[in-house]
Amino acid sequence: MSRTRDIRSADSPPAPPASAPDPQRVALLLRPPLLVGAAALGGARVARGIASLFAGTLLRAINRQSERGAVAEQMFNIGNRSLFFVAVTLGFIALVSVFQVCLQLNRVTGDLSKVGLELIKLMVHESAPSLTAMMLATRVGAGIAAEIGSMVVTEQVDALRMSGVDPVSYLILPRFLACLLMTPVLAVFAFGVALGSGTAMAYVAFGVNPSIFVDFSAVTAADVGIGVVKCFCFGAAIPVVSGYCGLTTFGGSEGVGAATTRAVINASLAVLALDLLLTVAGFMLFPPSAA
Amino acid sequence: MTIEFRDLHKSFGAQHVLRGLTMTIERGEVFFIIGTSGVGKSVTIKHLVGLLQPDSGEILVDGKPVHGLAEREYYPLRKRLGMVFQHSTLFDSLTVLDNVALPLRKHQRMRMSAAREAAKERLAVVQMERYADRWPAELSSGMRKRVAIARTLTLEPQYVLFDEPTTGLDPVSARRVDEMIKRLQTLDVTSVVVSHDLTSIFTIADRIAFIYQGQAHIIGTPEQLRAADDPIVQQFISGRSDGPMETPGF
Ligand SMILES: Nc1ncnc2c1ncn2[C@@H]1O[C@H](COP(=O)(O)OP(=O)(O)OP(=O)(O)O)[C@@H](O)[C@H]1O
Ligand SMILES: [Mg+2]
Repeated sequence: MSRTRDIRSADSPPAPPASAPDPQRVALLLRPPLLVGAAALGGARVARGIASLFAGTLLRAINRQSERGAVAEQMFNIGNRSLFFVAVTLGFIALVSVFQVCLQLNRVTGDLSKVGLELIKLMVHESAPSLTAMMLATRVGAGIAAEIGSMVVTEQVDALRMSGVDPVSYLILPRFLACLLMTPVLAVFAFGVALGSGTAMAYVAFGVNPSIFVDFSAVTAADVGIGVVKCFCFGAAIPVVSGYCGLTTFGGSEGVGAATTRAVINASLAVLALDLLLTVAGFMLFPPSAA
Repeated sequence: MTIEFRDLHKSFGAQHVLRGLTMTIERGEVFFIIGTSGVGKSVTIKHLVGLLQPDSGEILVDGKPVHGLAEREYYPLRKRLGMVFQHSTLFDSLTVLDNVALPLRKHQRMRMSAAREAAKERLAVVQMERYADRWPAELSSGMRKRVAIARTLTLEPQYVLFDEPTTGLDPVSARRVDEMIKRLQTLDVTSVVVSHDLTSIFTIADRIAFIYQGQAHIIGTPEQLRAADDPIVQQFISGRSDGPMETPGF
C-alpha cells in the first residue's frame, strides 16, 4: 500500500500549483546537508570519545595502574607482529626510492654524491617514523581492535567490570605503553634496514661508494628531535584510536570485522594527520634557513 | 536487604524490551526469573550491576538507587552482587585458576599467590581443581559454567545473579548447582536465578517471576504458579508449542 504510493509520487511530475513546495522534494534537497551533518556529528562524537580515552589512559599511566608484566608482554607482541613486516616494507621502499632518485638525477645532473645525504636527512625526520607508524597502524591497530572487540562482543569486558577490573587500565594501558616504547625502537630498526638496502642499491646499480652514500652531515639535532617526537606521538595515537574502535564494537563477529577495519583506517588517518601537524610545527620551530 | 525494580523501561533501538517491570526480591530468597527466550531476563539482571542503564524507572538495592551511577561507583556494588554470565564468559587469555583469582586480586587487592590459593579452594567446590592450569578454550561448556560459578563465588557476595546456571550441564551437575544455591541460602545469600530448567524451578525456587511482554506477568511461589489458571503461564510450564503466548519473531 505505502509502496505504491511512494512509486507514484516519485514518478509523477511536481504538483501544478507552484506556490506550495512539495515536501518530498524539500526532503530530498535537505538530505545531503543532513547526511553531512550526521557524519560530522558522528565524527565529532568519535573524536570526543578518542580524546577522553586518551585522557583516561594518561591519567592511569600517571597513577601506574598497569598489571605487572602486561606491558612487557604487549611489547613482545608488537615487536613480534611487526618486526619482519616493517623490515620488508621499509627495505623495499628504500630500494625503490634510491633507484628512482638516482635514475632521475643521472638524467639531469649525473651527480649522485648528494643522494645519500638528502635521503638520510629525509628518513630521519620523516620517512622512518611515519612509514613505520603506518605499518604499525595496520598491523598493530588491527590486532588491538580485533582482540578488544572480540572481548566486547563475547561479554568478557562486562565480566572484567564485574571482577573489579577497569577495562582501560587492563586492556588499553599496557598496549598504550608498549606501543609508545616500541614505535621509536622499530623506527630506528626500520631506519637501519632502509639505510642498508638503500646503500646497497646505490652501490650495486649506480656504483655509488657506500662511504659517499652514508653521509650524516646534513642531519641536524632538530631532524632527530622531530623524528623522535613523531615516533612518540604516533606510538601514542595508534593504540588509543584502535583501542577505542575495539571498545565500541557491537554486534557479533561481523562487528569485530567492522571494528578492525575502522581501527586500521582511523589509526592510519591519525598518523597522517599528526604527521602533517608535526611537520608544519617542526618547520615553524626550526626553519631550514636557520639550520 | 532487598532488590527492587520499579517501573523499569529499556529499549534497544526500536525494540522495547522492558515495559514497566516492577518486582521486589526479598533478602535470603531464591528468586527465579523465567520467561521465553529474548523476553529480557538477562537484560533485567544486568541492570542490577550497572552493565546496562534503564531508559526510565528505578532500581534499588538495599533501598539505594543503583541506576545512573558513575562507573567507579559500581565497583563496591559488584563486590556484594556477583553475576554468573549466561555464556560463562571466562577470560580466554587467563588460565582457569587465574580466572577465578582475578576478582580476588582486583576487588580485594589480594596478592597473586594468596589469590591463587583461595581460587584453588573455590575450584575444588565445583570439582574443577584438576583443571586449574587449563585454558578456558580447552574446557567443555559445562566445565566452563562451573568455573564461572566458582569465579563469582570467590568474593562471597551477598547477592548472586545466576544467568541460566544449569543450562548445558548434565543432570547430575545441574542438581549439584541447585544444591549449591540452596546451601548459599543457609549462608544468608540472596540468589536471583534466570532459568529454563523446570526441575530447578520447582525444587529450589522460593518465588518465581514470570516475565512476559516486558513486565512481571505473575509473581508467586512454585505452588501458586502451578495452580495459576493463567493460560500463558500454563502453556509455559507445560511447554506446549500451541497456546495464547505470543513469541515475537518465532
Ligand atoms: N546489547 C544489546 N543491544 C541490542 N539489543 C539487545 C542487547 N541486549 C539484549 N538485546 C535484546 O533484548 C532482548 C532481550 O534479550 P535478553 O538477552 O535479555 O533475553 P533473555 O530473556 O535473556 O533470553 P534467553 O533466554 O535466550 O537468554 C533480545 O531481543 C535482544 O535482542
Ligand atoms: Mg539470557
